[in-house]
Formats: sequence, structure tokens, C-alpha cells
Amino acid sequence: MVGGGGLDLLCNGVKIHHVDVPHKDQNRLEMRDLLAWVQSNLIKERPEMFIKEDSVRPGVLVLVNDCDWELCGGLGAELEEKDVVVFISTLHGG
Amino acid sequence: MHCKSLKNWDASKSQGLPVFGFGVAFVDESTIFPTPSNVASNIIEEISGIVSELGHALQELHIAPIETAFCKDLVDGQNCLRQLLDNITDASGKEDFVQYLRMLSLQKIAVDNKYTKVVLGSCTSKMAHQIISATVKGQGFALPADLQYVDTRQEIPVLLPLRDCNAQELGKLCFLDGLKTTQVFSWPPAGINGLVSSFIARLQDENPSRQRTIVRTAEKLKPFSFNKFTEGYYDFLPSIVRAKFQHVKHEEPEPKFLCPICGSPLSESEWKNVKNNNKCPSELEFFVSQCCRSCNFQILPKEKGKLELFYSLLPSSMTDRVEGKDCIGRRWLQEQIEEFLITDDIDET
Amino acid sequence: MKFHKTLHYEALPFENPLSLDRRCYQNLAQETRFFQPRASCPLPSSALPTREAISSPPREDTSDHWSGHLHQYAAHLTIINCCTISMEEGEGSTASKRGGGRLCFICNQRRPALKRPKTQEQICRECFYVVFEEEIHRVIMDNHLFKPGERIAVAASGGKDSTVLAYVLSELNRRHSYGLDLFLLSVDEGITGYRDDSLETVKRNEIQYGLPLKVVSYKDLYGWTMDEIVSVIGLKNNCTFCGVFRRQALDRGAALLKADKLVTGHNADDIAETVLLNILRGDIARLSRCTFIVTGEDGPIPRCKPFKYTYEKEINKYAYFKKLDYFSTECTYSPNAYRGFAREFIKDLERIRPQAILDIIRSGEDFRISTTTRMPEQGTCERCGYISSQKLCKACVLLEGLNRGLLKLGISRANGSRRHDVGHPKPEAKRPIIQNKPCGTLDF
Repeated sequence: MVGGGGLDLLCNGVKIHHVDVPHKDQNRLEMRDLLAWVQSNLIKERPEMFIKEDSVRPGVLVLVNDCDWELCGGLGAELEEKDVVVFISTLHGG
Repeated sequence: MHCKSLKNWDASKSQGLPVFGFGVAFVDESTIFPTPSNVASNIIEEISGIVSELGHALQELHIAPIETAFCKDLVDGQNCLRQLLDNITDASGKEDFVQYLRMLSLQKIAVDNKYTKVVLGSCTSKMAHQIISATVKGQGFALPADLQYVDTRQEIPVLLPLRDCNAQELGKLCFLDGLKTTQVFSWPPAGINGLVSSFIARLQDENPSRQRTIVRTAEKLKPFSFNKFTEGYYDFLPSIVRAKFQHVKHEEPEPKFLCPICGSPLSESEWKNVKNNNKCPSELEFFVSQCCRSCNFQILPKEKGKLELFYSLLPSSMTDRVEGKDCIGRRWLQEQIEEFLITDDIDET
Repeated sequence: MKFHKTLHYEALPFENPLSLDRRCYQNLAQETRFFQPRASCPLPSSALPTREAISSPPREDTSDHWSGHLHQYAAHLTIINCCTISMEEGEGSTASKRGGGRLCFICNQRRPALKRPKTQEQICRECFYVVFEEEIHRVIMDNHLFKPGERIAVAASGGKDSTVLAYVLSELNRRHSYGLDLFLLSVDEGITGYRDDSLETVKRNEIQYGLPLKVVSYKDLYGWTMDEIVSVIGLKNNCTFCGVFRRQALDRGAALLKADKLVTGHNADDIAETVLLNILRGDIARLSRCTFIVTGEDGPIPRCKPFKYTYEKEINKYAYFKKLDYFSTECTYSPNAYRGFAREFIKDLERIRPQAILDIIRSGEDFRISTTTRMPEQGTCERCGYISSQKLCKACVLLEGLNRGLLKLGISRANGSRRHDVGHPKPEAKRPIIQNKPCGTLDF
């Protein structure tokens, strides 16, 4: 998992995380599960910069294997082993 | 809000101004909001109660269901209304469309009962909301049309005397004067309008005068020719007072066209669109070309079949607003002539 | 099953609507070109003829119908030229379950990687590059932003907007032979741990894109670095100093480069935000100016914004997909200078109605500003000669304040208490909701 555009700062400055997310349902891991996991395990400060309500805050781009997550089903997008998820914040920087 | 506006009229028998009679109009929107019938009748009862407490000055209370806008029999109107709303997919589009229908209903009440003005209770907060939401919907050109004290676009002129009053202040006034208010039908906040509402609310929390600033900004935009009474209107006033009203400039050019759905004056680029569509044969295409961009986007269905149905259901007072083809032709010619004249001038100098 | 394979794209200029009579249209149809709406296109993409509609032999009436449409909207369209060859079944079926197995709306060959916020089309990465760059090309051409032979300074902060701007401009300059001399211009505010790092990025960009770089520093221009200023005034109002100084520094840098124009990376989101902020602040003079694509034509150096209609979202994706080298750290002096509330509102709007950003810009362009509203008169600063509506320009006032130790001079509504001597900070109440864009952006 890669966090860009300053989001790394929310996780102790680490940009790339290789994560193994435990999930209840053996068959399916969805983006919503990953977000919940990231929020409780990786984000060290200012979670409001990343999450708003149940989703990422508007302005944070999410790419699953370099494909916009809107095209993969958004929160319901199914994740598999070795998938690469990228979060890019657009909230600052010129 | 309607109640609030009318209550304050008690105080307005000021010196020099003629005393006028007035009534209260309430548009019953229970057809649109799925409320149990007893809730709807409770609201109406409450309103009658409030109005009767206002006492002597009052003439009448008019309650009309929103489907009166359709000028058909009510059951028919209800059906039309439901189908129309089902065909509007955008939440804000739906809300805005109901607002346009509400105005049609008010106009109808006013015409039927021979009133000469329609007075709304829109306060600063409502205006601030309107300004931001019009901006967000790309209606920057038409925006000033809806926030002037006077609007003579409709058959019966519409007035906004409470435009500069803050909602909190009105609330306090009602409280102090022991005026009762009631909550009427409304949608849960959704879509663009919902976002604008929460934005405005947060701005107000941050700075209580922010709404006023927003209205003041928009005040500086040029109003349209219909945002004042015709010349001679103020003649009944004592000459000293009259001067105050007559400095309103009369030079604003007439807007080219009004959107038949929302009444917004069309901007230059929208007007170009009308001109280009002038050759389109079908009545429907003609209608669509005269609708403003925002109505095209958030109200009219995209799919052709649905659009045809939608058009057939619209109240005739909306579809009749479409300008005739010859009128567009005339406008176009006028524009051409003006252009020629200008070029001639340049040639000579 | 047949697949269209795109051999090449060519965006044709499509300026003259009269050239598009029916015959011309049918020719187009045979060559299976299709139309790409531009940013400014008022027509929903659903109303444009699809590729299928064009490549199938048109009936008389439909072709008339379309050409009517195309006439009207010609100025908003780009013709994209593509050849089609058929492919064997099977070759294209690698589309994964993701994206619903749909193919790119434009090339109909590759898997889509994103959805365009303006048109809602799902397109692949390669087509995205093409339409993204061509759209900027259109904006440049339609607004006559540049003339051949001009020297153009690209305001470069190392951030994503200016990095993409520098990259795209140098690409377009080559591809479409604009004949421009491009330069990178950076301002060194003197902020340790922030600007020194981002300047490294710009220095790498200098090599990567082959564009000469000029750095102007606050220290050289004003005798103060931001680090020094903050050590004197604390963390209140520091962004005011920085903003005023940067504006002037860019102009001076551009003058040193003998540049004819300065281009900045302000994107559609920035402009929409500025429109809203000016309404909220009641700043009618700025409201009328803020949507201009070129500003300061009366000043020393005109500035223009080729990204005026470009969504931040797309700039970000472009930078990411192209693996451009950019810097994205918050300024150390405004770690919480998250752009505030108007920005958040815009992002929320974009989520439910992507075109809202362009609508706000259009509103800003269409506002009828009353002529009785007085615009500030422009003069020049007595001390430094910079344009100013007052006797002294803002930068000189601020500098004098610094040099004489009068800290509050030049800052309106300063309310005394400075952060480092506030015993008990009020975190929520003090967070400004409406604020200027913070450091890290190329503010005007």
C-alpha cells in the first residue's frame, strides 16, 4: 500500500506499507475493510485528513492496481493478494 | 417562513404609505411528502390557528395544494406531479423544481383572489443559501434576478421585504412578540442543496455576519430590468419619498430570454444556443433549447422518451412561457442590425 | 466480436463550424473520427454522436441532426482521428473483472484506469494522457495565451500542479511548435525542512525537462528568510508575509529572466475556491478578476493559468501515472493550513456533482459586476516601484514593520496575542475556516 501527497505524514512518515489484513469472511476482503483496518492500524495522527464518514475524505484519490477505485466498485471493491492500493491526497501542495 | 413574513405586516402601516389589505397563502405540499394525512391536516390546522391569532387586520387564509400549479383537476395534477418528480433523478433538481411549482401555485392563488402583490418571507439566510447554490450550479449570470426586493417577472409582482433580516433575529422577534411558528414540509438535506445548507450553517457558526456579507456581495451584481416597478409606479408617493425610489437606474437591458422552467434570464452563451436551435423543427427541442443550463442538467431527463413524457406533463404555465419562433427571429434580426450599426460607426470614424 | 484498435490519435483544430456541412460530416464518418467534448462543452457527452453512430452509414435525417448539433458546439469539440482495424476475438478479453470488463471509452481497446470527472467517461491511461494534454492545448490556443518567440517563466514550487504544468508545457511546446522559450522560476522563502527539499525537486525537474531554472530568494530580495521572520513574529500572520512577498518575488524573478509571461499552476479547483472565498469575503473587485485566465496585463508581467479548467483530481492522476517527480509536504509553518472550509465544500460538491467545479467557474465568469462598484486604482509604490494602489506597496509596508520592529503594521485585524505566548491555546475556536490559501501554493 502506498500513501502519497503527504498522507505518509499521517503514518509516521512511512510511504509504503506491506500489509496483511486479517478479515473475517475468508473469501472476500473489500476496500471498506481495508479502510477500517488502515484507520485503526496505520494512521497515527489526524485521521480526519484521511477518513470522512465511512469513506476516504473527498479529495483523496484511491487507486487499486493503478485503476481508479470508482471503476472497481468503490468501497465494495474486492481485494486480493498482492493488490497494490495507492492513496494520494490532493489537499495541499501547488 | 411564510407565516413569519406575514406576521410582520402588522407593524408596517407606516406614515405616508397607504394601508393595504392582505391575506395569507399556504401551499400544501403533502402530495410530495409522504406524510400520513393526519400530519398534513395538523400542519394546516396549526397554520389556521396561527393566522387566526394574528387578528383583525387579516382578510383571509388561502390554502391550496401544490398541484393547483397544473391548472387541471386535482387528481390529474397529482398524477402529473408524481410522474414529473419520479423523472427527476437529481435530488437538488427535484427540490428546485418543487420551488418553481410553489411559486406557480402562489401566483395562481394571487390571481384567483385578485391580489396585486405576492410577498415572501425569504430572509438573509435563505438568500445566502440561494446565492451560493446558484453559484455552484453555474447560474452566476441569472443570480441577481432572484434576490432583489422587487421581481416583476411573474404575472403578479413578487416582493422580498425580509431580505435583510437574519433568521435568528426573526426567530427572536417571533419569540418576543409571542408569535407562533410551525415547521412545514421539507426534504431531508441531500444533494447539492444539502451541502450548501451545511456549508452556510458552518459559515454562520464561524462568523454570525457571514450570511450578510454574502448577500452584500451579491447585491453588487447588476439586477435586471424586471427587478423594479415600471416607471410611474411610485407616483402615488409624496414627492420627497418618491425621489428615493426613482434613482433606480432604468438602463439595464432587457434580458434576452427567461428559462421557461425556473425563470432565470439566459446568459449570452445560453442565448446563442437558442439562436442556433431556432431551426429545430420539434416543439420539444425548441423548449429544451430555451431552458437554462442548470435546468437542462438537473431537471430535464436525459433520455429522449422520458424527456417527451416529462414535457407533456409540465404545467401549461411553464410550457407557455416559451417564446415564439418569430420572436427569436426578431431578436436575432435586431441583434444583427445593431451589429451593422456599430460597424458602420466604426467605418465612419 | 470485433475490436477497434487505435493506431494513432490526432486532435484536429476544429475552429470553423461552417466547414462542417453534411458531406464533410459523412467524410468524417467514413474515417471513423469521433468527437471529444472539450472542457467548456455545454453539451453532455451523451448528446454527441457516438463512434458507432458515426461509423454506421448515416441516414439522411440523423446526419442532418448531428451536423446541426455539431455546428452549434463545434467550438467545444476536438475531432479525434483514429483508424480501426478488427482484431480476432479473444485478444481483447483480458479485461479483468475490475471495471466491469468494460473497455476504454475512447480507444475501446484497453482497460479503463479512471473516470473523467468532466465527462464521466471511463478511459484508459494512454487515452487519458492524450485528452488531458490536448485539452490544455485547446485552452492555450482558444485563449491565445502565447505568441511564438515569447519567453515564458513557469512558476515552479516543486508541487504537483507546477510540476505537471512544466512537464505538459514543455511537451506541448515541442509537439505543437509553439516556439516558446520556457524557464522554471522558483521562490526560496527560506524555510528549512520544507522549501530546501522542494527546491531539490525543482532542480531535478530542471534536468529532467531540460528547462533552465532561476531561483529568487526572500533573503536576497528582502533581507529576511521566512525562518527569520517567524522567529520574530511567531506563527501568526506568517502566511500573510509569505504570500505578499511571494507575489512580488515571482514578478521580480520573471523580470530577471526577461520573461514575457508568467504561468502558474492554478487549477480549476483553486479558481472555484477563490470564487467562493471572494463571495464570502464580499470582495467584489477580486471576484470580477479571479476567473480571468490572464491577469495583470497592466502590470509588469502578465500571469496566466493554463490549468484554469483542469481538475486537480486529474492533475494528480496524471502526475502519478506519469511518475513525475514532485514534492508533497506541508509547509512546516502551517502544518494545519489545510485549505479550510471552502476547499472541503468544493471536494464534497465534486463528489456528488463533478461538473460543479466548472459551474462555479462559469458563474464567476458570468457575474455582472455593477459598473458603479469602484475598482482600486493602480499606481506604483514610492519606494520600490512595484504596482500598488497605495503610496507604499504591501511588501514595503510589511518590510518596514519588520525592520522597525512594528510587527502588526500592514496586517489587518491582528489581534495581539501571538501563539508562542498564549498559555492555553483554544484549538477548535481558533482554527480559521475562511483563510487564504496557505503556503505551498502559488498564491496570487
